[in-house]
Amino acid sequence: MDIIIPKGYELYVNIVAFAVLFVVMWKFAFPPMTKMLDERANKIRESLEKAEDTKIEAERLLEEYKVQMAEARAEASQVIEQGRKVAESMKAEILAKAKEQAEAEKAKAIEAIKAEKAAAMAELKSEVADLSVAVAGKIIGSSLSKTDHEALIDKYLAEVGSLNEN
Amino acid sequence: MAAPAVTAAGAEEASPLSKGIARLLHELEVLPLNGEKAEVAGSFSPENFVLTNYSFWLLVAVVLMLVFFIVASRKSQLVPQGISNVAEAGVEFVRNNICVDVMGPEGKKYFPFIATTFFFVLINNLLGNIPPALPGTGTVGTTFVWGVIVFLVYNGIGIKKNGFVPYIKSLVPSGTPGWLAPLIFTLEVVSHILRPFTLGVRLFANMYAGHIMLGVFAVFMAISLEHFTPVSALVLPLSFVMQVLLRVFELFVAVLQAYIFTILTAVYISGALHASEH
Repeated sequence: MDIIIPKGYELYVNIVAFAVLFVVMWKFAFPPMTKMLDERANKIRESLEKAEDTKIEAERLLEEYKVQMAEARAEASQVIEQGRKVAESMKAEILAKAKEQAEAEKAKAIEAIKAEKAAAMAELKSEVADLSVAVAGKIIGSSLSKTDHEALIDKYLAEVGSLNEN
Repeated sequence: MAAPAVTAAGAEEASPLSKGIARLLHELEVLPLNGEKAEVAGSFSPENFVLTNYSFWLLVAVVLMLVFFIVASRKSQLVPQGISNVAEAGVEFVRNNICVDVMGPEGKKYFPFIATTFFFVLINNLLGNIPPALPGTGTVGTTFVWGVIVFLVYNGIGIKKNGFVPYIKSLVPSGTPGWLAPLIFTLEVVSHILRPFTLGVRLFANMYAGHIMLGVFAVFMAISLEHFTPVSALVLPLSFVMQVLLRVFELFVAVLQAYIFTILTAVYISGALHASEH
């Protein structure tokens, strides 16, 4: 029965043990540990928050880059499209200009040919008249008057002209 | 210890089993280290002071605890390692799962006391599981003192927080009919005064009984080997199995009782803190 009745000297040991333990643990052992626990908790919380922020920032940047990329693509295809249009219009222009120039050259050439022809015809006409007068003078002598000559030449020319027309 | 003493006296005719158990009980008794039988009378006067077997192991546990925590706290760093990792896990458990869970955020204020209690009881309980050590908590001398300390602490906190008169008044819940108040008051006072005893006896009895159970099966094994009979062939392996199972169970009890002792302490402090609210 005396097992459940405390012995005095055990009480003393325990009172001293409690006092020493409590003071040492309270003043020396626990403070650095609880401080470290709090510090660690704060550090982990901060790191998590920072990671969260970084993640959000990264997502925002990615989104931004995607938008920029799409814009750049659209712009590039627009530039290409524009370039093609410019090239096509230039081609059309050059072609039109060339054609025009060719037409002008052609017209000029025709003009020149016509002028040459007219000059040649005039020269031929005067030569034929002179020749005819000379030939007619030789055949009928100088009996013919000026007016007769001219009448004859006209008649002859008319004949030659009709020949030419045929 | 009246009963085993009688058995020991009649040991000539007694069976080996009762002799063995008597020896075991004698060893589990509170014995001064000088071997003389402990007497309650006169044990309170300082000139009769001796260390008992339980006190000796209690001091071993206290030294182990101090060394462990001081080393762990000196090595405490942001990335925990080794021994301080273990100590910090324990500290965090007491702080969050006992102090804050029971008493709320203000419970952190009482953490040093709660944690000292918890680790003292835990280390003593666990040390008792390593032969030949005895648990420092396996004697009423220890557990009663701690029960009384808890009693003084929680009432002191209650009085400091609420004031003496309101704290005493709060023993009777508001709204109690006038004629019932004296009865309720008496009951409450008795229940408060019983608290250190229930705290002390619960812890002591658990640790002491666990040691007796372990000892009984050890005695069975010893006797089975000493007086080998066909019965021994059955008793020996069974006792061995029981011994192993009880060891595991005792580890569980050691942790559980430390937890119960501490959580009750926290509950008492919490009750004293919020005494005027109910």
